[in-house]
Amino acid sequence: MNNLVLLVALPLITAFLLPVINRVSAFAGRWSGPLILLITSVLGISLWSQLGDSAVAVELGGFRPPLGITLYADQMAILFAVAASLGTLLLWPNGGADPVRQSTLALILAASGSGLALSGDLFNIYVFYELVAVVSYGLIAGKATSGSYAATMRYLVVSSFGAAMALTGIALVYQATGTLNLAQLAQLAPTQLNNIQGLAAFVLMLIGFGVKAELFPVNTWVPEVYATAPTRISALLAGVVSKLALLIIVRLLVLVFHQPEALTVMLVLGIMGVVSGELAAWRARDFKRMLAFSSIGQLGIMFIAFSIPGKAGVFAGLAVALHHLVVKPALFLLAERWSGSISKLAGAAKTSPLAAGLFVLLALSLIGVPPLPGFWAKLLVLVELSQQAQALYYLGAFVILAGAALEANYLFRVASRFYLTEKGQTAPATHRMPELATASLLCAALAGSVLMLTPLAEQIEDIASQAADAAHYIQTVNPETLP
Amino acid sequence: MDTGLILYTAAFGLIVIGSAGIVLSTHLVRIIFGIALLEAGANLLLLLATYREGSPAPIIVNGHIPATMADPVPQALVLTAIVIGVGILALALSLALRVQRAYGTLDLREVRQRLDQDIADEAGIDLPTSGDAPQAVMSRQEGRA
Repeated sequence: MNNLVLLVALPLITAFLLPVINRVSAFAGRWSGPLILLITSVLGISLWSQLGDSAVAVELGGFRPPLGITLYADQMAILFAVAASLGTLLLWPNGGADPVRQSTLALILAASGSGLALSGDLFNIYVFYELVAVVSYGLIAGKATSGSYAATMRYLVVSSFGAAMALTGIALVYQATGTLNLAQLAQLAPTQLNNIQGLAAFVLMLIGFGVKAELFPVNTWVPEVYATAPTRISALLAGVVSKLALLIIVRLLVLVFHQPEALTVMLVLGIMGVVSGELAAWRARDFKRMLAFSSIGQLGIMFIAFSIPGKAGVFAGLAVALHHLVVKPALFLLAERWSGSISKLAGAAKTSPLAAGLFVLLALSLIGVPPLPGFWAKLLVLVELSQQAQALYYLGAFVILAGAALEANYLFRVASRFYLTEKGQTAPATHRMPELATASLLCAALAGSVLMLTPLAEQIEDIASQAADAAHYIQTVNPETLP
Repeated sequence: MDTGLILYTAAFGLIVIGSAGIVLSTHLVRIIFGIALLEAGANLLLLLATYREGSPAPIIVNGHIPATMADPVPQALVLTAIVIGVGILALALSLALRVQRAYGTLDLREVRQRLDQDIADEAGIDLPTSGDAPQAVMSRQEGRA
């Protein structure tokens, strides 16, 4: 199980060696990055198959937990670590002004993303989070247009503000408990953090880690960045990185912060995210910004789902998150050739019928039309919401349903454009092969999951029950301390 | 007044000043300085987390263990946080330079307008104009004109 470290270390080492490798042989420089990510993905999947029901903790450097850093791997952590590697591999940044630099940054993104999923130490999480942030600035600005510089600058301001908030929250936690190991925090939290200071720390960290997870008040960067960044980078940020940030917040909620107020804060911000995101997407007139706003809305649904207490919330939220993880990158890949005004997309179904068909399939799943997986994910959230006692949860359910109606409106508006032919208008360009192939692959995964819905749901429920079990986490990291 | 209280006030003061600088200024360099102040405040707070007045550094000399020691963990953490902060500061300043070269201004409001215009131009759509405003606002403006 010591192979766990390789998921982080291997891409990181390769990233720093890449400029040297490229000088020796351009061919090796071009292919070593994807190769390493393929290796880490396979490694992650093989670790997953060994894992079974009990999680694994690795002490880095052989130091025991309070001082040493722990890597904690349960099924959820490995799943998202593999998503980080595999996602970066599928959305590998090709082309650009400086391919070696872009490859280096992409490798660091995969490494720090895996680290974010696996780390069991709050400060270590902060460091990986900053690493993800810095790398994504480089990837967005890599397009080297004036728009991408300005968007990166505005993103950097919001993101640095968030990171400082998270650091302040970490300082409050350390002040109350004297430790930053998540397992120890889980033990100390009921006595030391179950007060107003704990709540303040949670809200600060929610704002901090919420920047990447497109949480309502700190998501002003989303439309600008997704509209100006290279399409593959937008897909990566919206699909994978946002889920990794969400994963940290879920871990914190399960292990450390048990106050009901913490869940209420998250629920309210989630509702506002859905309302603002879906309304803005409905009004957007260009394809990329529409996708960006709709991603804010979808992340809002995840926040609402994760604010349901206990295992049920983790299960429902995980289902929506995994669905979005597949659908949104595929939609962004299709946007590569369809960027720009929606009104210019008339007749696209004639020139690229496959891409138009894929878009309709993805849109149907995003809205939640049975029997596609998006329907079951949303249904699960709604069923769990309806079983809560608080009235605010019903508002959440109402907002999700209203959001689905808006989604149907704006996505069908685009789809109807595709199959409409107007005179005197030139149809948009056809897609390049790599984008279309990756989008088809993701759509095939989506369609395939319809066939094995029951085993998939059981698997996700299994992951959720393991992730929601705080006692198991404490037991795995500190075997001698009984909870 | 004891030192701890003064230091805590300083830490929260820096955090508030930094946040206010980020939110209220429009000049990019001022915003970047706001980020620097905010990070300094957060770092100071982390250092203060286990601050004990007059406690020596945690070093054992000749087998003599001091009765109270400063907690070394936050100091190590803050060192890391400072390094990250300096890196981000340098990156932010160089990006500000690029923005200045691209748009000829460091006013974030102006940068945002130009950015919206750029995105709209690339997409081939018009910026939202007063034509999209609610009817009541329109008629009021026309009345004034």
